[in-house]
Amino acid sequence: MEPVREKLWDPALRAFHWLLAFFVIAAWVLGKFGPANMWLHFWCGYAVAGLLVFRLIWGFVGPEPARFRHFLTGPGKMLRYARGMFRRVPSYWPGHNPLGALSVIAMLLVLAAQVGSGLVSDPDDFINVGPLAGQVSQATSRAAVGWHNLGAVLILALVILHVGVILFYRFWKREDLVRPMLTGWKLVRRDD
Amino acid sequence: MRLILAAAFAVTPALALAQDDSAVQDALKARQGYMAAISANMGPLAAMAKGDVAYDEAQAVFHANNLAALGNYEVEMHFLPDTAQGQVEGSHALPKLWDNLDDVRAKHEDFKVAAAAAPEGVKGGQAQVGAVVQSLGGTCKACHDNYRAK
Repeated sequence: MEPVREKLWDPALRAFHWLLAFFVIAAWVLGKFGPANMWLHFWCGYAVAGLLVFRLIWGFVGPEPARFRHFLTGPGKMLRYARGMFRRVPSYWPGHNPLGALSVIAMLLVLAAQVGSGLVSDPDDFINVGPLAGQVSQATSRAAVGWHNLGAVLILALVILHVGVILFYRFWKREDLVRPMLTGWKLVRRDD
Repeated sequence: MRLILAAAFAVTPALALAQDDSAVQDALKARQGYMAAISANMGPLAAMAKGDVAYDEAQAVFHANNLAALGNYEVEMHFLPDTAQGQVEGSHALPKLWDNLDDVRAKHEDFKVAAAAAPEGVKGGQAQVGAVVQSLGGTCKACHDNYRAK
């Protein structure tokens, strides 16, 4: 079957993707290199929190390719996809492929955990105390700073993996995944 | 006689170790107490800056004076060698603190300078306390980011 051009990603999902990328990168860079007063980092975090809530809702009520039940598959399907992954042909996959789905879930979970640990963090500097730090024990709000730092490492790893795989698709499989996330249009093939 | 000598030799290292250990524990208590004292005075100022507690100039100056005194205190003497996290139970100081003592001193100097300006700085109202808390808190963060275990 020939691949066909299809409007795959809806505008809300595309906006979500690029806004999330922007605010995650901004929060990350501000966290590592930003000024001592981290209010901008905080607001980036709140934006990420809002985006995550949107994505959760969209995963249930959004268009088909955005829905969790559409791209969350079993290990069998993942393995089958992984086996054919290194062939030098485009996937023409209509949405998140079964393996990429894992990455989506990993990112959403790690980002949600990052928002959570940030909200309850107390770094003991009296100016960058998370707004919910008072709701948990002092030991927890202290430890949360450590989790938040670990989360930053995990997020960096996931983002590098994400960009690396996109480059792999672009140059090895000769499939552009960036343009579809910008325009919504993608060459897809539905075998069944 | 020989027995006594032998016993003395056997006991000496244990004694030295015990003494060493108490010096280390004292150092740990002293420097963590120093941080606790800073915290005890920063807390009320931060609460005032946020508006959780009503502005009270006398109270603000009181805590700012304590912080200025704490800024003058040379806490370095309590950072004994080999008392980093992993070397001593209960320590949260990273080993690299001892590799960058010049930087640590410079950062403590920043705190000292900010704290010295605090008693005058907090006068005038809530916004003034806010500015002081910002500049003091920034010096806490600068050092914690690099040298305190997370």
